Amino acid sequence: MPMISAFGAAQLDPSLYIPELKVRRKFAVLDELVRIAAHAGVVREPEVLCASLNVRERLFGTGIGKGVAVPHLRSIAVIEPRLVIARSRRGLVWGAGDGAAVQLVLLVLSPAEAGEEAHLEFVARVAALGRLQRNRTRLIEAREFPELAAVFGEGAP
Amino acid sequence: MSNLGVLLELHDVDVLRGEIADPRTVSRLRKLGFTFPVAADLDALRERLVAQLEPRWATQYERLQGRYGRAVTVVRGRACQGCFITLPTRAAPSDGQPLTTCESCGRILYWR
Repeated sequence: MPMISAFGAAQLDPSLYIPELKVRRKFAVLDELVRIAAHAGVVREPEVLCASLNVRERLFGTGIGKGVAVPHLRSIAVIEPRLVIARSRRGLVWGAGDGAAVQLVLLVLSPAEAGEEAHLEFVARVAALGRLQRNRTRLIEAREFPELAAVFGEGAP
Repeated sequence: MSNLGVLLELHDVDVLRGEIADPRTVSRLRKLGFTFPVAADLDALRERLVAQLEPRWATQYERLQGRYGRAVTVVRGRACQGCFITLPTRAAPSDGQPLTTCESCGRILYWR
């Protein structure tokens, strides 16, 4: 299993991107993200993945503030490390510590056989990138996937 | 839910338990902005999942979890990802035997 040390084409996939979420409830959003990940062949057993994500979400917060949520999971249901990106310009009620509505959901998925350190590194890079205002603005305003991918391609600050 | 589905969910719960049991991991996640607002009652959830398993699989899971720290492992290219031995064709699951174990290390196999 390769180390997840940088964003690359392997982790970013246009089929794992929802420019504007139609659902607004947190758990419905997670279901939708898992659905597109399963459709893209990144996960098996989507029911297991949904259940595991819901457990994490119920017990811990994944809203990291400033309108960004980073749900993340190292699961046996994940085949390859991937980032699933979704936006909501209207904002989602996510229960983040700062109370801000979430406009950017960045779902980090790692296979169970990936090391914990590799997964945390992946999460840290996504979270660090999402917390920077200039990156958030570019991610929210990007019109096409390549614009969005470019932000990640530049790497975390 | 099938034994396989429960075992996979149980596996993920145990991965999560391991994560939050590590103070360094929790500290790192907190620094990233993640919160831990509720005392995690993962043990109760775990017990509920174990209770859903057929007793023989529950016993086997606990034994393997104690031994290896991970009772279920994936199979890639016919190789057990727990001990990396190449598995014989007969180790693949079938309708009559949906769950199989590695002949070498004994881990429960998840074929995908």
